[in-house]
Amino acid sequence: MKRRAFAVALGLTVAVVGMTACGSGGSSAGGDSGTIHVLVYGDASNKVEKQLVETFNKTSKVKAVLDTIPGADYQPKLNTIINTPQAPDVFFNWGGGSIQPYVKSDLLLPLDDMIAADPGLKSNFLPSVFNTAVIDGKSYGIPMRGTQPVLLFNNKKVLADAGLSVPKTWDDLLNAVRVLKAKGVTPFALGGGDQWPTLMWYEYVFDRVAGPELFQKALSGDKSAWESEDAKKALGMLKQLVDAGAFGSNFDSVKFTDGGSPALLAKGKAAFELMGSWEYATQQDASPDFAKGDLGYSSFPSIAGGKGDPANVVGNTNNFYSVLKKSKHPEAAAAFLKLMYSDEFVKAQLAIGNLPTTTGTEQFLSTAANPDYSKYQYDLVKAAPSFQLSWDQAYPPAANTPIHVAVQQFLNGKLDVNGFIKAMQALPAS
Amino acid sequence: MSASSFVSRSGRRPRAGSRTGVGVTRPGLVWAVPATVFFLLFAIVPLVLVAVLSFTSWNGVDAPRFNGLANWTKLLHDPVMTQSIWLTLVLTAAGVVVQTPVSILLGVWAAGHQRNRAVLSAIFFVPLLLSATAVSVVWRAILDPNFGVPSQLEWLFGDGNLMGSQSGGVAVLTFVGMWQWTPMHALLYQGGARAIPRVLYQAASIDGAGKVRQFFHITLPQLRNTAITSVILMVVGGLTTFDTVLILTQGGPGTDTTNSAYYMYQQAFKSFDFGAGSAIALVLVVAATLISLAVVRLSGYDKMRSTAEGL
Repeated sequence: MKRRAFAVALGLTVAVVGMTACGSGGSSAGGDSGTIHVLVYGDASNKVEKQLVETFNKTSKVKAVLDTIPGADYQPKLNTIINTPQAPDVFFNWGGGSIQPYVKSDLLLPLDDMIAADPGLKSNFLPSVFNTAVIDGKSYGIPMRGTQPVLLFNNKKVLADAGLSVPKTWDDLLNAVRVLKAKGVTPFALGGGDQWPTLMWYEYVFDRVAGPELFQKALSGDKSAWESEDAKKALGMLKQLVDAGAFGSNFDSVKFTDGGSPALLAKGKAAFELMGSWEYATQQDASPDFAKGDLGYSSFPSIAGGKGDPANVVGNTNNFYSVLKKSKHPEAAAAFLKLMYSDEFVKAQLAIGNLPTTTGTEQFLSTAANPDYSKYQYDLVKAAPSFQLSWDQAYPPAANTPIHVAVQQFLNGKLDVNGFIKAMQALPAS
Repeated sequence: MSASSFVSRSGRRPRAGSRTGVGVTRPGLVWAVPATVFFLLFAIVPLVLVAVLSFTSWNGVDAPRFNGLANWTKLLHDPVMTQSIWLTLVLTAAGVVVQTPVSILLGVWAAGHQRNRAVLSAIFFVPLLLSATAVSVVWRAILDPNFGVPSQLEWLFGDGNLMGSQSGGVAVLTFVGMWQWTPMHALLYQGGARAIPRVLYQAASIDGAGKVRQFFHITLPQLRNTAITSVILMVVGGLTTFDTVLILTQGGPGTDTTNSAYYMYQQAFKSFDFGAGSAIALVLVVAATLISLAVVRLSGYDKMRSTAEGL
């Protein structure tokens, strides 16, 4: 009796597994003919995506359908459907590690043929941004939103009260920590509870000390990069910063996502915050008066003796559209992607505060929601010899949690230098 | 179709008819089919699938590949997994220890007929109506180190780094769990206390027992079965605590509050390693089943001993 029950269960399992296997091999994307499905991350930027889909549908025979998945659920849901008949034709991603597993599974269409047919699909974008979605020498993504470099934001009033100016060098920064501590102000607001804000500090210090090559080397599988002298030096400097009380003592209980760390900056309880360019929009939303008057911004200071160019930036280079190999209408997808360097696209993105990364963006900067801020970022990104994609997005998703855990544990003292090096060396290889 | 075909298999004579009267026979197996099918479809089949997946490497995109015991050996040597089991047990035990006395006191109090009782009970039960997510978000704001309660009570909270240490994180999770779940258990105890026969109290007060004595010698023993139900619910709930961890601490700092349920989610839905996630899930299922069985056995609940014997 028992054995028979087991046989039935096993039979069911095989049946179900068989069904899944058939499903994944079966019919192609965009079931009904004559449409392409465009899947994007659901948030305020969807306004522009809707507009562009409408523009596209005015002239195209193949109609585009925009599907959105609300923010936090995007990646798991995409992963669930990407190898099923429900897969979209074109989808939003972060380039780099976020699409690497799909490239490996041979699901994505290399865009090189499209680019050969229309070189504008490549030449119209800033190279440092475009390259984020180049994997093994092939292009897989077209930039489709705004760039988000990480900047050092400050509270002008707090700096003025303390007699400080914006730090240009690491020594300025350490000096600022001393002065601000003495005044009872937390030098740097840090949303350590979210973990990724902590990672931004590593990205910049490693880039300034060792140059972008160290991380690229590690990412390409040479794990010795993590135990190099430069890596140890960068870790030492981060430790020095924590020990000097640069982040206060309760940063791991603070989050950016619930408004904690931006409030510290806006209320003058902290003088600086290292954050993606979206900090500006966050502050405009939460503390409009502060954003208008006292919110300052600068690039990350230089580090004397470091190998990295002080003009280098880190952050999210942009978001990308990638095309699935099994899409029935690749030519329609190509026509849709061409809109990503149209004037309409650039103007619409600028109007909602995003900063597109086409080479033609410059002439429209005056129409941006905050012209000065947009111009500052654009010049910064354009002049940057290297724009390093955030580590957690450069690596495939499997490395995401281990990276976050390691950076948090090193900063709060749970891991020492060797522990951190070991943790990074244990990351799943790309 | 006549009802009798459900009641007994065709051709066989109703057996129980002779003892309990016509028509009070044991229902036929057919009645159990709907529930059994659903149980198979939504509990057993997924469970078996998870068991199979735990021997594969699957990123959710390609077809699963069998990799033998790789997930299991990895799990065995994974310090985060070991820690997560300890954390799960600590969180569960702390939940039971903290919630039970408060629930009993509140429930027994709410079973009485005092002034304002109905109004106050209604207020106490409000957390029961809120989703775990809402509860966690609210407490996160209240416990913010710079703008919440800790910034006003420095003598108690120090620098307010509650979610920045393991002990702090566990304390917060336990406290928020208590705040959220105590009302439900209080409700159970209220029902239990209401069902205690009044004659017991009347007899006790004639014998000269005071309120306290009545509580310890009548109320508590009479609530035994309620307590076991409540504890099992707490244990199962504690073992699978997830939403509060996700929102309050995200398993951090580092992995300091990563309990097994959260670790499972992290492996499966953040790292897209469904094989490893399934292995953790299976450990949780087995552990939860064993612990529930142990509670039932040790408490004598399975003997269904009545608390009303001799009444």
